[in-house]
Amino acid sequence: MNTSDRHLRFGWWSLFTFLALGLGLEILHGFKLGWYLDVGNETRRLMFTLAHSHGTLLALVNLAAGLTARSVKGFALPDTASHALMWGAILMPVGFFLGGVVIHDGDPGLGIALAPAGALLLLYGVFGAARAFGRVPAER
Amino acid sequence: MDSPPPNPPSLRLRPLPATGLGRAALGLLLGGALLTVGLLVQAGGAKIGPANRPVEEPAADYVTSETCRSCHPGNYASWHASFHRTMTQAAEPANFAAPMDGLELSHGDRDYRVALQDGKYLVRSKPAGAAASAYGPPKAIVLLTGSHHLQVLWTETGESRTLDQFPFAYVIAEKQWAPMEQTFLTAPGPQQLYDKGYWNNGCITCHTTNARSRPGPDGRYDSKASEFGISCEACHSGGREHIAANRSPLRRLAQQWSEKPDPTIANPARMDGPTSTLACGQCHSISAFRDAAKTQAMARDGTQFRPGMKDIPERWIAQPHGRDHPAERAALLQENPHFFGDSFWPDGMIRVTGREANGTMASPCFQGGKFSCLSCHDLHPEKTDPASLATWKTEHQMKPGLVGSDQACLQCHQKFQLRLSAHTHHAAESEGSRCANCHMPHTTYGLLRALRSHQISSPTARETVESGRPNACNLCHLDQPLAWTAGKLNEWYSQAVPRLEADDRDLALGAKLILQGDAGQRALIAWAMGWAPAQKASGAEWLYPFLTFELNDPYAAVRFAAWKSLQTLPGFSGYAFNYTSGDATQKEALSTAYRKWWFEVRKESTPHRAPTLLLPNGMFRQEIFDRLLDRRDNRKLLLAE
Repeated sequence: MNTSDRHLRFGWWSLFTFLALGLGLEILHGFKLGWYLDVGNETRRLMFTLAHSHGTLLALVNLAAGLTARSVKGFALPDTASHALMWGAILMPVGFFLGGVVIHDGDPGLGIALAPAGALLLLYGVFGAARAFGRVPAER
Repeated sequence: MDSPPPNPPSLRLRPLPATGLGRAALGLLLGGALLTVGLLVQAGGAKIGPANRPVEEPAADYVTSETCRSCHPGNYASWHASFHRTMTQAAEPANFAAPMDGLELSHGDRDYRVALQDGKYLVRSKPAGAAASAYGPPKAIVLLTGSHHLQVLWTETGESRTLDQFPFAYVIAEKQWAPMEQTFLTAPGPQQLYDKGYWNNGCITCHTTNARSRPGPDGRYDSKASEFGISCEACHSGGREHIAANRSPLRRLAQQWSEKPDPTIANPARMDGPTSTLACGQCHSISAFRDAAKTQAMARDGTQFRPGMKDIPERWIAQPHGRDHPAERAALLQENPHFFGDSFWPDGMIRVTGREANGTMASPCFQGGKFSCLSCHDLHPEKTDPASLATWKTEHQMKPGLVGSDQACLQCHQKFQLRLSAHTHHAAESEGSRCANCHMPHTTYGLLRALRSHQISSPTARETVESGRPNACNLCHLDQPLAWTAGKLNEWYSQAVPRLEADDRDLALGAKLILQGDAGQRALIAWAMGWAPAQKASGAEWLYPFLTFELNDPYAAVRFAAWKSLQTLPGFSGYAFNYTSGDATQKEALSTAYRKWWFEVRKESTPHRAPTLLLPNGMFRQEIFDRLLDRRDNRKLLLAE
């Protein structure tokens, strides 16, 4: 599977997963579940919302990476950057989600540690993509 | 020939192109800077506060509840919903419990009129009956205390931040204004319970957080508090160190995994019983100051007490018969032999509400070292949705599942659960088998209601003989004589029968005390006559004549209790009566209510038992009635919350 296909496949599945999470959150709203909505669980609500929004957005980033690789001639995303983009798009929202499962007052649970790791990978991946795009011949 | 070398290109700074985008960015930056400066100036200005009332100004290690909010949203929410938060509020129109527009009141020899002007309520007064032109200069209502049972208003005095009392309080449940002195159990007649400056010097201590009354040499006060109301730091101590330490995420993470409490903050839920109780007892108690120097220091800088300490540096919780603080007690009684006065029953049990720590600390349970206020109360319930918080707030902030159940006691006294009826000698499901009804009877009074004693005790006939306190049995069995109770307690629990008078053998204790007792006893019995379990145990039909008679009691608080109890009886639901009205009106109201009962409500078929003082037709046994009334304890009593 080439880089483009990998990102597109990952992007669409990721988009599906985190949109489904969004639907789940709407259901929690619909049934007014205190576990999610009570003021005392404000941190959980924030973490889950961040997981949903980051997961969805990063899925779109991966779709963009896949489409860029497919449509821009000469654009070659390095493998390390490609994997960093995907792992970043996994670890960051999953970190937010796990951080919200167990909370300690205003602090998320230990799972939140995955979020900064994911953020670093994401930065690396985007940096790699930007550099790769800079190498695309001008005459295209 | 060599041509001269070309001049090196000179470095020139090119001006930024004056594009529209550049101008827009520059404008945005400048605008943002100006807005920031404006907001900072505004925020700085807000801290100063008005000069005519006490203000909120954090000091020492206090950081205010807003700082706690971000990390403890649930605890903040439960506190925010509580009456603790609204114990003191600035007199913003939204904070008034009463409708204020067009308010006109009269009391004693003065008329009062309130009007809204520029977002502030102003009060003017004039001699009663004088022309409207006689209204004096306006005084702004600047501060409010209370939001649960009563709301008390305080006015500016023109003397720095010194406050004066608005002479009326708003009785929230009744939606009624009452003269201040008629919201306490106090002797009849107009009187100013709180002098000018009393709030600054007294109320501020427990109605704000980190209070500094700051009296000046000229008698004026420059009072400040870190926060109005009883906020987070009143119970958890100043948060400055806690905030600084917990900026580190690693520390917070370590704390989450640690079994030990965070040493940078106090948590009464993790303290031993006495220490935890003291955190609440710093306010919910009768306390006495240790010496003048400490009192002055506290007035200037605020208390040195922080929850978690084993004693209060400036004060001590004063128990009349306690073994603690012997030197302080001796000195106090030497200086003021009547210090304990009306606030305690003669046997040393607290008699007024709002001072529950005195009762708790005198309880046998307290001696075990684990029992505290938090054994039954939960200041931060887990459920923080608005409906749950509203219920919790009105149910005395009890722990979930403890309201109306025996679980509060069964946490420790599990053995009684299996043999409940054998212990109580009442049906297991009846009110007579509820722990609190026997061990925490309604023998404290304040804020126009009886409240359960927080001194856990067992009912005895002796307590009634020796201290005059109605025992738990007779607070339900109002229609039974004390001798009946003494006999049952002797039969069931082998209690010695005390020496009893003839009336104690022949007359229902409820009937005897409501006629012969002091004002506090009368108020408790009048209240109990409206208590559903008492009406079920002792019948309701015989209560009418006593309650209608007490509509004319000289004490407003007794009249109020009688009126509210009368409203619980069939035929008198919603019965209108102004307990604050003058003597003539009360006599008329008594007569009207009595006639209503006699002609409209009375059931002629109901037989009345002799101990109830009623003839079979419902009339008083006049000779006994008159004798009890002649013996009435008419000493002046003040039961102030």
